[in-house]
Amino acid sequence: MAYRLPIRRPKSVVSNQRYPALTSALVAGSNLHRGGAKEFTRYFPVLHLLRLLNLYIDEVASTEERRALSRLVHRFGFGPRPGEFSQLLTLGLPAAIEFTLSRPQLDIPESIFSLHGIGDLGDQPAANNISRFVEYTNNKKFQLGKISSLWLSWMVEGENQLLERMTWFWHGHWATSYQKVDEPYVMFKQLLTMRKYALGNFSDFAASMIMDGALVYWLDGQRNTIKAPNENLSREMMELFTLGVNRYVEADVKESARVLTGYKVNKSSGIVTFVPTLHYSQPIKLLGSTQSFDAPSLARFLVAREDCAQFIAERIWYRFISSNAPLPASGFLQKSFTSRDLSVLIKSLLSDNSVIYNPSYSQVKSPVEWMVSSLRALSISLTSDLDVDFLFNRLDAMGQRPFFPPNVGGWPADEAWLSTSSAQNRLSTAQYLASRGDLSPISSVSRASRIDALADWLGIVGFSDRTKNALSGAVNDLPRLVTLALCSPEYVVNA
Amino acid sequence: MDTISRRRFIQLTGAGALAAVAPSLTIEDIANAAITRPLPLGTPILVVVTLYGGNDGLSTVVPFQNSIYQSLRPQIALSESEVLPLDNELALNGSMTGIKSLWDRNQVAIIRGVGYPNPDRSHFSSMAIWQSASRQAVRTGWLGRWVDTQNEDPLLAISLGSVLPPLLAGNKRSGSVLPLGGLKIPTGNLASDCKKLSLTSASDSPLQALAARTLGNLFQISDDITPILKAPAPPASDLPTSIGGNAGSETNLTQQLEIVAKLIAAGAPTRVWSVSLGGFDTHADEKRAQSALLGAVSNSLSRFLSQIRSTNRKSDVVVLAYSEFGRRVRGNASQGTDHGTSGPVFVLGEKVKGGFYGENPSLSALVNDDLKVTTDFRDIYATLLEKVLGTAPERVLGTWQGRTPFIVV
Repeated sequence: MAYRLPIRRPKSVVSNQRYPALTSALVAGSNLHRGGAKEFTRYFPVLHLLRLLNLYIDEVASTEERRALSRLVHRFGFGPRPGEFSQLLTLGLPAAIEFTLSRPQLDIPESIFSLHGIGDLGDQPAANNISRFVEYTNNKKFQLGKISSLWLSWMVEGENQLLERMTWFWHGHWATSYQKVDEPYVMFKQLLTMRKYALGNFSDFAASMIMDGALVYWLDGQRNTIKAPNENLSREMMELFTLGVNRYVEADVKESARVLTGYKVNKSSGIVTFVPTLHYSQPIKLLGSTQSFDAPSLARFLVAREDCAQFIAERIWYRFISSNAPLPASGFLQKSFTSRDLSVLIKSLLSDNSVIYNPSYSQVKSPVEWMVSSLRALSISLTSDLDVDFLFNRLDAMGQRPFFPPNVGGWPADEAWLSTSSAQNRLSTAQYLASRGDLSPISSVSRASRIDALADWLGIVGFSDRTKNALSGAVNDLPRLVTLALCSPEYVVNA
Repeated sequence: MDTISRRRFIQLTGAGALAAVAPSLTIEDIANAAITRPLPLGTPILVVVTLYGGNDGLSTVVPFQNSIYQSLRPQIALSESEVLPLDNELALNGSMTGIKSLWDRNQVAIIRGVGYPNPDRSHFSSMAIWQSASRQAVRTGWLGRWVDTQNEDPLLAISLGSVLPPLLAGNKRSGSVLPLGGLKIPTGNLASDCKKLSLTSASDSPLQALAARTLGNLFQISDDITPILKAPAPPASDLPTSIGGNAGSETNLTQQLEIVAKLIAAGAPTRVWSVSLGGFDTHADEKRAQSALLGAVSNSLSRFLSQIRSTNRKSDVVVLAYSEFGRRVRGNASQGTDHGTSGPVFVLGEKVKGGFYGENPSLSALVNDDLKVTTDFRDIYATLLEKVLGTAPERVLGTWQGRTPFIVV
């Protein structure tokens, strides 16, 4: 069910507030990307004149506004529900951001486990006990299907879209694969931890994750002993989770591996037990300071480093803004992370006009992002008559199945999703979704207006003449029209 | 988009970047230049096998007689009965029977101690260094930059699988991706509309232009390749039935190479193929897992080369197999090994002058407990660029003097 937006303004109102990028860029000399300021200055007299004459201004400025709102709704959520993009346009960017940031966080109740039959499967029975083995395997398969479809449904239907989007981001960050963990229950518990802290305090988050059964098992933490350390968890904790590569030396990897000893994981329950006698409790020299650690205090120590603010800012930038352009040198994002509060970081990112309006930061939707935004646009519910296995097979074929990242570095970005193979899978998936979804937002519109209506429905900045030409032949064939729109470069790549 | 905003858009995007990505050819032009002209016989073909995860070199090319080797990794070390000796000091992992028989035919070059200065132990950094052939954070791969030097043809370099490896990403163009199982694409109105959708548009961002182009490539590659995929694979007639794909080693790598063999036999105008196998990050219980992986690599490669031998392109194909780093000499407590430095690289094929290259890193002269790097991997790339792809290495690697003489000219 669509939510109600708090306020509306008449569409005809044109105020300075609606063009903050233009005005602030001009006044402050702009910290837009290279060349941006000059371009804006060049066009300023024209815009000013047009504004005075009240001519074309809506058209010109609304491209800016549409781009910013399209980014808000596609990157900080999984795309608009039908009608939502038009409502956000009416609201204007500042109110739309406020709205996005202020959705209530609905916690997942503990009863989710019993309600859906997700639980500890125990030890795998011997293969010669056929009936028990088959039952165990079937249970496991059932639970994997259940956690997969539950998560997908949260992404599609979650009211706090920013929270769901951040949870998805964190899965790619703490990239743990079912492939090795092999326990749906344990993977699901990790998901709940990531969702709990998705917009919370990163120090608490990291201290929780370093004790997470799935992550520890995935990185061989339970096999790390004082006598001969296994450095996997220690290294990735610094390189991929908190500091970034080259912000530590090899000796730091070896030293922190020593204090990550004494943690035993029960494979089927994911419960991590601390065994003090197996733990190295002496002080170690780590990143220039000497002290003793346990796993959570090690995580908090790393998160408190200045490099952690740099690294998390880089990762957020890479996944939400651009994998090509570097994080701006101004350091605004790092500074906003002083408290390690993730919601403050995201708010700072969204509120920076030089980022959200900058036309050079286009981004390819990953397969999951593309599929979920399509499901949302088409009002397809995961509980309806839907072949969920088909959807996961498609995601698998596109190289991005939730719970199955390719390695601990997570999934690639941008260009990697623009292969001929992805194009093929997007096409066949779009055909399937268009045959199942609610096309009434388009069918209820006159043929002449359908292409414009599609752009609003999908939250696209605008279709190029090329795409309009391709769509124009299909305005009478709605499933084909929608298939093409979902596969258009303007939808696959968020401008 | 009205004129004012479109013009502004192009100016803000940077016309240079846009021009670099947007092809000047139409999709019809590209289609006409495709497989209707098969690769001329005798044109060298490079097949790159990437082993993800950091393959343990010491369990691949094993110093089986060395007492330091036995004492530093007692639980992982292979005994004489578990290896296939190549000379008095070194042996192949016992699972690599297929590659051993190619070695006996003098068709396997093993370059020892391969890496780069100041080794990076991160999977991602090190693989990026190997694939980009650069210490800088560049987004292009060495073979992608090679694609840049060639005439545009989406069939020129193809990776098997669903995601494009950085290896094949160029500045101007990139290789294509071919999923396993071939391509099924729509026909009729949807197909003709999709072709319209794949045309260039001046308002595209560089990524949107790429999205349009890959959609176009899909139709072209599919038209060209589908009939070939339906044809039977070339026979591996000279392969004894005890090895090859007959012993339950039907791995994903075998499937990938089977398709490559079919396409090479059919004359696809593809000069570079990329296939891969993951799972080499053996931090725990290494011995059995790695033997199984190496067995899969060995069986699929010997089967592939045997299939190629039954075609008229038997001397055209050269295979390169590499991983992002070797592993620590000393075993860890989990019967595995952690990330290390240098490792062996394999080059295989009829054109190859078999034998050992590069100094074998000494186990009694470790650097920080790790194997020394004795050959820079760019020597190997430079040699392959020069002798197989017929391109001056400077165009891809910058100035690079080193070569490894493993190709018979």
